[in-house]
Amino acid sequence: MGQLVVNGLALGSIYALVALGLLLIFNTVQIVNFAQGQLLMVGAFIGITGAVTHELPIGLAWAATVVAMALIGVVFMLLVYFPLRGRPPFLVILTTIAMGIVLENLALIIWGPLPVSLPSPVRGPPLRFAGVVISMHQLTIFGTLAVILLLQFLMLTKTRFGILMQATAQDLHTARLVGIPVNRIIAVAFALGAVLSGIAGLLVAPIFLAEPTMGGSLGLKGFVVSVIGGFGNLPGAVIGGMFLGLIETFGARYISSNFRDAYAFIVMIAVLVAWPRGLFGEKISEKV
Amino acid sequence: MKVSLPIALVAIVALAIPAVARDGYVLQLLNIAILNAIVVIGLNFATGWTGQINFGQAAFYGLGAYTTAIATKSGLPWIVTPVLSAVIVLAASLVLGLPTLRLRTYYLAMTTIGFGEIVRLIIVHWEPVTGGTSGLRAIPGISVLGFGPQGQIQHYYLLLAVLALATLVAARIRQSTLGRAMIATKDSEIAAEQSGVDTTRTKLVAFMIGAVYAGLAGCLYASSIRFISPDSFSGVQAVLLMTMLIVGGMGSIAGCIIGAVGLTILPELLRFLGQWYLVLYGLGVIVMIVLLPGGLASMAAFLPVRRSVAK
Repeated sequence: MGQLVVNGLALGSIYALVALGLLLIFNTVQIVNFAQGQLLMVGAFIGITGAVTHELPIGLAWAATVVAMALIGVVFMLLVYFPLRGRPPFLVILTTIAMGIVLENLALIIWGPLPVSLPSPVRGPPLRFAGVVISMHQLTIFGTLAVILLLQFLMLTKTRFGILMQATAQDLHTARLVGIPVNRIIAVAFALGAVLSGIAGLLVAPIFLAEPTMGGSLGLKGFVVSVIGGFGNLPGAVIGGMFLGLIETFGARYISSNFRDAYAFIVMIAVLVAWPRGLFGEKISEKV
Repeated sequence: MKVSLPIALVAIVALAIPAVARDGYVLQLLNIAILNAIVVIGLNFATGWTGQINFGQAAFYGLGAYTTAIATKSGLPWIVTPVLSAVIVLAASLVLGLPTLRLRTYYLAMTTIGFGEIVRLIIVHWEPVTGGTSGLRAIPGISVLGFGPQGQIQHYYLLLAVLALATLVAARIRQSTLGRAMIATKDSEIAAEQSGVDTTRTKLVAFMIGAVYAGLAGCLYASSIRFISPDSFSGVQAVLLMTMLIVGGMGSIAGCIIGAVGLTILPELLRFLGQWYLVLYGLGVIVMIVLLPGGLASMAAFLPVRRSVAK
């Protein structure tokens, strides 16, 4: 029982990380990136190429992944969002989906279809506490999520850049009028969004193995978690992530593991029917 | 009638194809293309005209196909299956649409993706009834009082006739009050509400009509292809149907048919590209959305033919 809670929270932390990357982009440009899961997959494979294929130290592989993901995020923005600025968000959903297809098949060509494993960045004996085993990797996941939440909070509220970013999120046109370099801010938002999903990929690969098709369901779950928590609401997304992780873990154990991937959607539909703005309310309402 | 000439030309070509292409594989592909065209015309109601993203269309397609296959295999006469399929997809689309169509774009996209995934998981795991991942084979064919099409050429003409009917019905709906309410809802929900359009109801009706199109196409798919498996109705298929709509031209019935037929045949022609096909396909969709948001159908405006006919 206690073990299931720990496993569920670890899984939920990964969902929360995916959601944080998604929301970083959404809060800046009001675009939901449906290729977030594929970015996660690319991150996992870059990490594997570094740490397994080229046998780099794991820390270096992580650093390389972060840098590569930031670049990929900017290129992604230039291809998928930039040519469609000011057009209906509907179209950007479709270009992000198309980009997801491109990334997934490029990954199949480059890395092949077989699942690969990545070592965890921290090694050591698991902690045992009242019959519950917490592996070092699970601790790493919790630690990473905490650090990223803290950094994101500090960046958004304490740095000049973060404040400019919030201004852009509130009103892109006014932000541009008062001289904020809006395009640069959007590029950074996409870069950071891609980095966050890349890190989520580095954390997922040691548990589930990495394969080119892993992104689809993880990306959707990041979205589900954001919806549960109230779209745009960062603490909500983290709590939503934990909630979904627990539901999946307990559902797979006590109901049926065949329908593991369906629980997320059932929960999301139920939450939307009962609380159309998510459990904790949306940060920004839809702009007219 | 400024469009009568192109329509007549297309009709003649479509009717003459079996005289040239006698290859079973080609005809089978064309039959699937026609079925996809019906599903995409259905998708156009909610997405092209009403502006609601719907990734559940493949699931409705599958619900119709599986309903028909299970019903005929258990001995029910074929004639009840179109009704049965329509009733099932109507019920499913009502249950899914009622709570979610009030929601905004992203939520609807997500709930329809989720719905498709749930349907797929049920099909895959309810093995005794649905045959699981290996699907259902030897599904009884179309038969009304003992009469039914024999061979692929007869199926081709039957499906072509159904497509013509589907096109006609869609064109009539577009011209009706309901059709105009759909366009108004897409253009601006607030303005539509101010003009007395019940936008939630309009979205729901558009969604349900589209689901019926998919359900009936699914029914015909099961009883003319005679083999179904979950892969034909997965989330990948839902994205593919959406791309057919976009590449053909959202909001245009001709575009739906062009997109569906083109993107059903193209992968077969480009088979030699292997995995690269999907990479180019994804990039092609992005280029298409950026450069030609009206799809291939909007290119007709550049053709000299149409202008001379219009005079």
